[in-house]
Amino acid sequence: MNLDAFWIILTGALVAICCSLLGCFLILRRMAMVGDAISHAVLPGIVLAFLFSGSREVWTMLLGAALLGVACTFLIEFFHKKANVPADASIGVTFTWLFALGIILISVYAGQVDLDQDCVLYGEIAYVPLDIWITPSGLNLGPRTVWIIGGVLVVLLLFIGLFYKQLYLTSFDPAFAAAIGISTTLWYYLLMGAVSLTTVAAFESVGAILVVALMVGPPATAYLLTDDLKKMLLISAGLGTLASAGGFYLALWLNGSVAGAISVVIGLQFLLVFVFSPSHGLVSRRRKPALSAQG
Amino acid sequence: MKLAPKRWLRCLLFLALLLCAACEPVNTPGAKAHQQGKLYIVTTTGILRDAVANVVGDRAVVTALMGPGVDPHLYKAALGDLQTLREADIIIYNGLHLEGKMGEVLQKLARQKVVWAAAEGLPDSKLYKTPAFQNSYDPHIWFDVSLWSQLVEHLSQKLQQQDARHATYYQENTRRYRAKLDSLHQWTQAEIATIPAPQRILITAHDAFGYLGRAYHIQVQGLQGISTVSEFGLQDVSSLVNFIVRRKVKAVFVESSVSQKAIEAVLEGCRQKGHDIQLGGTLYSDALGEENGPAGTYVGMVRVNVGTIVKALR
Repeated sequence: MNLDAFWIILTGALVAICCSLLGCFLILRRMAMVGDAISHAVLPGIVLAFLFSGSREVWTMLLGAALLGVACTFLIEFFHKKANVPADASIGVTFTWLFALGIILISVYAGQVDLDQDCVLYGEIAYVPLDIWITPSGLNLGPRTVWIIGGVLVVLLLFIGLFYKQLYLTSFDPAFAAAIGISTTLWYYLLMGAVSLTTVAAFESVGAILVVALMVGPPATAYLLTDDLKKMLLISAGLGTLASAGGFYLALWLNGSVAGAISVVIGLQFLLVFVFSPSHGLVSRRRKPALSAQG
Repeated sequence: MKLAPKRWLRCLLFLALLLCAACEPVNTPGAKAHQQGKLYIVTTTGILRDAVANVVGDRAVVTALMGPGVDPHLYKAALGDLQTLREADIIIYNGLHLEGKMGEVLQKLARQKVVWAAAEGLPDSKLYKTPAFQNSYDPHIWFDVSLWSQLVEHLSQKLQQQDARHATYYQENTRRYRAKLDSLHQWTQAEIATIPAPQRILITAHDAFGYLGRAYHIQVQGLQGISTVSEFGLQDVSSLVNFIVRRKVKAVFVESSVSQKAIEAVLEGCRQKGHDIQLGGTLYSDALGEENGPAGTYVGMVRVNVGTIVKALR
């Protein structure tokens, strides 16, 4: 069980870092719920992938889901830019529409097949240690998921590390970015491409609730602790990692769902910081008027 | 002020450490079984557990991951399940995509442990394919008692190979249990046959009874497909209502693990057309009933289901 615990916590931490890094940029762009949107919008992709291939195999489902994930973020931006709809409304319209399309596709073409995200795409973090990558020569390389998410994390770190300035400027001050020749549209699409691929890979590894929670919770908590984007990225990655370890032990204690427990810890972290944060917290805000009255 | 975030991180670290203090369970059922020198067999569904338990008797400990009333399509794993699977000497799952993603994980686990997909032991010709998709099978194989009996034989032979010490004991148990299943099969045939042929129509919310229909010559009509996410369409409801009125169907049924709402829409539609129809009762489709209740075993479940159907349709 000890090695299993290590793999689960490691997977949780890797997913947490991926999601919370991207989540910071999403929160600043007021698009925090894009992860949730993608979790629904992938349904027609899954159904179409099945209708074309006739199989419910992982890679087929991943391909369909990834295509629709990207399409979803593109549509969100399209409606937001071209129709001038606020980003949150654009997210809402896009994903409900795509999800509904998926439901209609299932009921018309594939009603006799058990086909939805829960049974063909979403993974279960508790089973990560069981799904081992074994090379043809018989070498045990550890859980497949750790390799996939680890790879995603490396790509993300390179992406954010190399293009931090562009991502930062286009998120905070699009007008200034445009003035010095950085294309806000290009960087939007690159960021959203990264978001869709990361979320789909993470859905397949650990399930949807956890991904959505990690994408919003730790960045929102970090947002209450700092005004500096670099610190926000670091803090949210740290909080996400802590939550995955804490959540694992909570699940062990309760013998419950690991994803559920991690999400609960994320919520607790946010509540704690919301009450006690030195700058934005309830307590410090109460105290401040008193202090200024004294001074 | 600058140090503040770190202080809060430290606080959270402390909280996490507190949670770490929660300790691991020691006296697990698997460990106990091994202490007594018994095999520890883990199945996914309770229906499979019942089949295996009838073969191994008291020579092995059999546990199911999913409890009574749990829909296998929607099952969410607990962390303890991982421990249970790790301790298992043999893992048995239904297969044919009944367990969804979990089935895939178990299939891969077969490279490291003894894992069997029970449905693999059945000949392809006996499996019910979805008309439109050749690679998709209906996984609800247990509704044909004779087919389930074949599956018990298949599992029993695998168990005899795996645990040769008790092979004759398993063989004897299997012979006795299969005799019971044979008479259950005949009883079911006879019972269903007492329903006049034109009234032999089974209407349920989701399509789980294909095998029952084929084995016992009763027409099966589901409102929804197999997938529980696909909502029933308005046309589905109205065409089903027309069908019911035309064929003068006496009753429709709900399932223990699926919402009643869908079937209530049909009931309402029929009443509006002046056709008096009643709710025939609840059928156990994807899971057994409570352990000590009448539907707590496979045989009990079939008897309760058939009793419910015959009583309402005859």
